[in-house]
Amino acid sequence: MNSKVVLVTLIAFLASISGCLTGAIDDKGMMIDERGVEVPTERVLTIVTYDIYGLTSERIMEFTNQTGIKVEMIKLGDAGAILNHLLQTKEAPQADLALGLDNTYLQQAIDRNVIQSHGANISNVMESAWLPYNGTMAVPFDQGSICLNYDTNSINSSQGRDVPTSLWNLSEEAWKGKVAIPSPVTSSPGRAFMIATTDYFANDDDETTNWTDWWSAMVDNDVIITSGWTEAYETHYSGGYGVWNDDHIGDANFVVSYCHSPGVEAYWADNYTISTSLTLDRASFHQVEYATVVNGTANAEYADLFIEYLLTEDVNLNMPIENSMYSVLIDSGLPADNGYLYHSELPSLNAQVSPEEIAENMDSWLAAWEAAMV
Amino acid sequence: MACSLGGCNGLKRKFENIEVALPFFLFSALVIIPLLLALDRLIYVSGKMPWQVFSSLDEHYLSQDAIGFTFLQALLSTALTLAIGIPIAWQLGRYHWPRIRLMRALLTLPFVTPAIVAAMGFMAILGSDGFDLRGERSTYLVSLLFAHAWFNIALVIRFVDPVISNLDPRMEEQLRLLPAGNSRWGRLRCFWIPLMFPSILCAAVLTFVFSFTSFAMVRWMTPSNATLETVMADVGGAAGIENYQIYSNELVLASSTIQFLVLILALWLLSALQAKRSRTIAEVSESHSRKKGRTGWLVLIPALLFCLSPLMAVIRSSLRVAERGPVISHRWTLEGWQSAISGDYAYISIIDALQNSLGYAILTLVISLPLGWSLSSGIHLLEKRGSYWAKPLDILTMLPLAISGVMLGLGILLGIIRISTVFFTMWWMPAIPHIMLSTPFVVRLLLPAMRRQDPELIENAQVLAMNRWQILTKIRMPLLRGPLIVAGIIAIAMSMGEFGASWILVRTGAWDTLPVLVDQLMTRPGFDPLVKPTAMAAASLLMLTTLILFLVAERFRPDGDGGMF
Repeated sequence: MNSKVVLVTLIAFLASISGCLTGAIDDKGMMIDERGVEVPTERVLTIVTYDIYGLTSERIMEFTNQTGIKVEMIKLGDAGAILNHLLQTKEAPQADLALGLDNTYLQQAIDRNVIQSHGANISNVMESAWLPYNGTMAVPFDQGSICLNYDTNSINSSQGRDVPTSLWNLSEEAWKGKVAIPSPVTSSPGRAFMIATTDYFANDDDETTNWTDWWSAMVDNDVIITSGWTEAYETHYSGGYGVWNDDHIGDANFVVSYCHSPGVEAYWADNYTISTSLTLDRASFHQVEYATVVNGTANAEYADLFIEYLLTEDVNLNMPIENSMYSVLIDSGLPADNGYLYHSELPSLNAQVSPEEIAENMDSWLAAWEAAMV
Repeated sequence: MACSLGGCNGLKRKFENIEVALPFFLFSALVIIPLLLALDRLIYVSGKMPWQVFSSLDEHYLSQDAIGFTFLQALLSTALTLAIGIPIAWQLGRYHWPRIRLMRALLTLPFVTPAIVAAMGFMAILGSDGFDLRGERSTYLVSLLFAHAWFNIALVIRFVDPVISNLDPRMEEQLRLLPAGNSRWGRLRCFWIPLMFPSILCAAVLTFVFSFTSFAMVRWMTPSNATLETVMADVGGAAGIENYQIYSNELVLASSTIQFLVLILALWLLSALQAKRSRTIAEVSESHSRKKGRTGWLVLIPALLFCLSPLMAVIRSSLRVAERGPVISHRWTLEGWQSAISGDYAYISIIDALQNSLGYAILTLVISLPLGWSLSSGIHLLEKRGSYWAKPLDILTMLPLAISGVMLGLGILLGIIRISTVFFTMWWMPAIPHIMLSTPFVVRLLLPAMRRQDPELIENAQVLAMNRWQILTKIRMPLLRGPLIVAGIIAIAMSMGEFGASWILVRTGAWDTLPVLVDQLMTRPGFDPLVKPTAMAAASLLMLTTLILFLVAERFRPDGDGGMF
């Protein structure tokens, strides 16, 4: 829009409501001009996404230069907002491709028929990225595990602050008010961590308590619940880059983030970080983010081309730097520069919860979580 | 064909009635229809009426204390605003100061500063690279109160200062001769307090309204506390979808209903107070009434520092980048500005976002100024006729002030879902709430000016056989040139700084306005140290643009203007 908005605001406004700017489009996708002659239309791919940091205007231009397809972006808050948008516009879809639905939302999108099978030629995605879902409705484009991170400076055995060996340790007096978690109602990482706790406590030795008991115990221990990841990590976490920010409090020694967040910290701070991850078995959630073709789009072909572009080595191998996430390409890994790889721990066993289970139980889990917290 | 005098008058009256009714119909359609459609959608999806969902706010973790916190912060903000604002207004109104126009402009500048910029400014002052007071969560509420006071002291100045500065000094002299006027306390109790009270209450009511619906400042400055406005913003995205997160619909319905009722009550109170306030006593030009100030600088210098320091802090932060390592330090650099201009950290650059903001602002101006003029003319005409419709229509034009930015954005979003989702792709959609929010400001600026116009001028023009168009272009508009320019610039500034509704409605990345871009940059993970200075550079550009517009507007503001803004 830009300068066009400034210059032709009124003209375009009047023209758009009178319909005189647009001609009819025939079934071949060609526009019929006033003389009835077919002229090629501008090829436009509309992507609905959240703020995926790797998709800079430079990357988008590169795709346009390669394919001649112009890209328009509908930018929303997070994965949940993408699903909301797809549901709200189901009758008249506004986008051709959705980027950023993860495996906590994917099944709902499938069940509610807002996405369709893709036709992209994919052969270079590693096996682990297909683990949560391996059908034709979604293509993984990045991944990472969500788990607790902690400030290593806060560990002090003489004060009873040992590295936790169970999530129950965090409900003890030593960590009172020292854990920050984004709300599962309003945050995707928060939702993923809540899902992990359902599996963690379903598989622990204690048969007398369940996951909601842990959340209630955390409320009693003054857990800090935030509306989003940014506030939990930047404002409350004492071990992250937030200490350089104006809005930093630093009252939490533990925070829910990605298990490789300490690696990202180190990469941007010349191999310096005091943060590390707590990779207890089943207390982490393997998150995969997907590219999905919007159901009913007339531009599925363009969407497929973009998916293939997203999975080229040039774009996808840069995910760790440009999007702070793991690549999904076979044999890819994290860069060793500045301690990125060294400080990024991989959990040995993530929570084992399928997208079907998530879709089936999410509403009741959220209701149970609310009941445990209020 | 000639007509009888009575017939012509009847025809003229009918024409005037249509002329009055049309803008009100358009305005009502713009404001009320989306909200009614949204309400209908929320009731349909949730299956409940508004009064059945109030308890849902207490049943959910994220909205548990929202009602209490909303009232608490709004009431405390109002009290603090009055405590800071009244001494400033007193000094400005009562005493003679050099460069008073500039000083007044600087002291009222915060009101048109985009709230998101103000929030960034306060956090920069209080943060680790400033006074380092953000480390304690207990400081959050206090800092929010000061930020709201900073934002709203302009209202106290605008309402109270003209009452004092235009007062005929002979009244006070006469009072001194009476027993009650002998002592300072007596004069305060029997004269100044009754004189200023309606104006102070007007400022208090509006401060309460703006604090009650504050969004950007609460979102950033007290992240641990929810208000009704932030609850709506948090869950509103999932509202309106059948069989999906029904609680979102209930929370939005409950929050918006409570907010609407409270704000309607406040605006009714404001309207009653303004009527009382308009029964003023004899006024003179302010230059006649001023005395030399002596100790007032002790109030005005800190006030100027208070008003300008958050703005300076934003610019300073755009030039500082963190040096990551064991020791917390920052260095001076222009890299933040460079990356903001090149668009390295966002889908669009700040220059593109500025163009978008200006585009929406121009569209807002083009519609809200003529609409505001027509509404003001209509009310003024009805007032002259003594019609009982004048008052209700006057209140109707203030209705958008009772509907917060987030409510408007959600109303339009849900209204669109009811009509056609194709509107999601229309780039002009985000301009609708800008028009709705700025039109009341245009009316508040033009209507008092129209009331002040000498009716004999129009009558003389009619005697000279000037037609309606000639009267409009040769008499009325030139005489109202000042208020028209001020209203136009304020409309542009309001549009440029609007955040709540844009945050909900701006869908396509290419439409991002400057406030939306600032928020996007501030919410992205800041592992890369350049992200924050980039956001601050965008905030600085937004602030400087607004500052220039406001200073231009001040040049055209009539003396003794006691309007809201």
